Amino acid sequence: MDALHNLAFGFEHALTLHNLMYCAIGCVVGTLVGLLPGLGPLATISVLLPLTYSIDTTSSLIMLAGIYYGAQYGDSVSAITMKMPHASSIVACIDGYAMTLKGKAGLALFTAGISSFIGGTIAIVVLVFMAPKLGEVAFLFGPADYCALMMVGFFCVSFVTTGSLLNGLAMCLVGVLLGQIGTDVNSGMQRYTMDLPFLADGVSLVSIALGCFGIAEITKNLDSKQERSPFNGEIKLLPTWPEFKRILPSAVRGSLIGSLIGVLPGGGAAIAQFAAYALDKKVSKYKHEIGTGCIEGVAGQAAADEAAARTSFIPLMSIGIPENPVMALMMAAFIIKGIQPGPNMIAGHPELFWGLVASMWVGGCFLVILNVPMVRYLLSVFKIPYNVLFPGILFFCCIGTYSVNNNLDDLYITAVFGILGFVFMRLKLDSAPLMLGFILGPMLEENFRRAMLISRGSFGVFVQRPISATLLGMIALLVGWQLVAFVIDTKKKRAGLAAQPQVTPT
Amino acid sequence: MIDQNLTRGIFLVLFALIFGVTAALNYPIGAFAHGGPGLFPVLISILLGLVGLALVIRSRFEQKVPMNFKLKNIGVIIGSLCCFAFVSEHVNMIVGIVLMVFIAAIAGTNYSWMRNVKVSIALVLIAFAFQRLLGLNLPLY
Repeated sequence: MDALHNLAFGFEHALTLHNLMYCAIGCVVGTLVGLLPGLGPLATISVLLPLTYSIDTTSSLIMLAGIYYGAQYGDSVSAITMKMPHASSIVACIDGYAMTLKGKAGLALFTAGISSFIGGTIAIVVLVFMAPKLGEVAFLFGPADYCALMMVGFFCVSFVTTGSLLNGLAMCLVGVLLGQIGTDVNSGMQRYTMDLPFLADGVSLVSIALGCFGIAEITKNLDSKQERSPFNGEIKLLPTWPEFKRILPSAVRGSLIGSLIGVLPGGGAAIAQFAAYALDKKVSKYKHEIGTGCIEGVAGQAAADEAAARTSFIPLMSIGIPENPVMALMMAAFIIKGIQPGPNMIAGHPELFWGLVASMWVGGCFLVILNVPMVRYLLSVFKIPYNVLFPGILFFCCIGTYSVNNNLDDLYITAVFGILGFVFMRLKLDSAPLMLGFILGPMLEENFRRAMLISRGSFGVFVQRPISATLLGMIALLVGWQLVAFVIDTKKKRAGLAAQPQVTPT
Repeated sequence: MIDQNLTRGIFLVLFALIFGVTAALNYPIGAFAHGGPGLFPVLISILLGLVGLALVIRSRFEQKVPMNFKLKNIGVIIGSLCCFAFVSEHVNMIVGIVLMVFIAAIAGTNYSWMRNVKVSIALVLIAFAFQRLLGLNLPLY
């Protein structure tokens, strides 16, 4: 009951008119900025951080949290409508965009909104009751375990997103290799930079996302030559009751997975959405429809993403370690305000911690309320003929790429990835696993080298540690099952081909 | 006819070779216990090469899928993007935006000067809004 008491205390702080206003402003501005392709949560928070300097501590953190969630929602909007994802909305491109092509963009956006809300709510329950305990889970994972976890991520993702394990795995590995571009953290050596100064920091995620998804998609639409106007009809926003019943289980599953994975340092939110999607594809009642544009494919990942975004505050607030760049930026905001995140934060500044937790939920409400009127307005943009629209999309790609580092050279990188994305598309290789590989690649390398260093070069460490051994066992099972399935499949096909000529004459 | 499945495998093998050979030749590999900067890229390239080979082998057992490339549109889009970057750097971004719109429109289904002018004006206005309201550091003029 202590937790409930604390939560009530938090709401007392979050529900003052003053804080409500800042929460609302944060959500709105965050969504609007997040809508622009290329400006993900990280860029949005860094652009808007100065806005909060003059506000008092609790309000400014509440506003920043609002910006964060708003930006994430805005991201999924651009992913669903234009297939321009950011790290947190890669999976939204798959089913969300497919729904847009079917003319159900309104429904997809609403589903993403409501599932995010469900995810956020469940994550807050987790946060309130288990924050300190979950903070310790991260300590159980050693470098070898992280390696194994990421490998599991690669295999699951490759398997579900493309349906073909080899294609997906290949794209993951390509992503990992692309992540190698830049300066090696351990030795300071520059790899694959071709002595170009703007490559020393590596390729930015935005360039890859906009190139492989955005530009490739523009070209695809232009190549197909058909006027793409799925928005001319009436925009249906609210799901019917049976549709809503389909959203709910996926969203709940996604939230639980997201809450757990969000706690782990590293690509929390990025893995969470893939994991939720993978699970849905395995257990959902409508699993055969996932991938072709169905609600579950949007609901599960949106919920997981949001839940992970919230529980990723746990390591920051309970042990003071930011687990991803966005959290590092939040930590900077805390420190600017004179608060050192860490074990003493909850005890030292209860109004701040619980106020923030409560305002997360309030922020979620705002997003859903804002979502409904705004989406109608947003979608009217797409009634513009594509010939007018695509230079605009291209322009946003340019601005998005440029504003990451204020560097025009980055645009050339985006152009290169545009060409690569086009090649991938023509080769029927899916770009979603590539993004995951790119995000996790540097972490995988770091943990792999660390694990090897600790074990003095013996691979035994991966089998000896219980967590990594279990995870690797899962991979072995998956691969074995795939091989068996492939052999059976080919045999069946051969048998089918052999049987056919005999059947037809009779 | 170019077989899509076969090309895919070959493309991935080539990709792995480029990254793997570069790493093996230029960066110290070190030992497993103390990995150098070249170790991890080489390992990953080997894995990717294997996957690529597997795809090449698998393509022998699968039906061939024809591949078609249309190079015009991707060329136009990439060209307009590079043009935007180049002109923005050496002249200013407003000229860059206008040029980008006019070049990119070649890829569209029909071409109209009037429409390009309107789109350019709208985008320049949006760029100004970004600069003034969001504080993005755009070199507009």
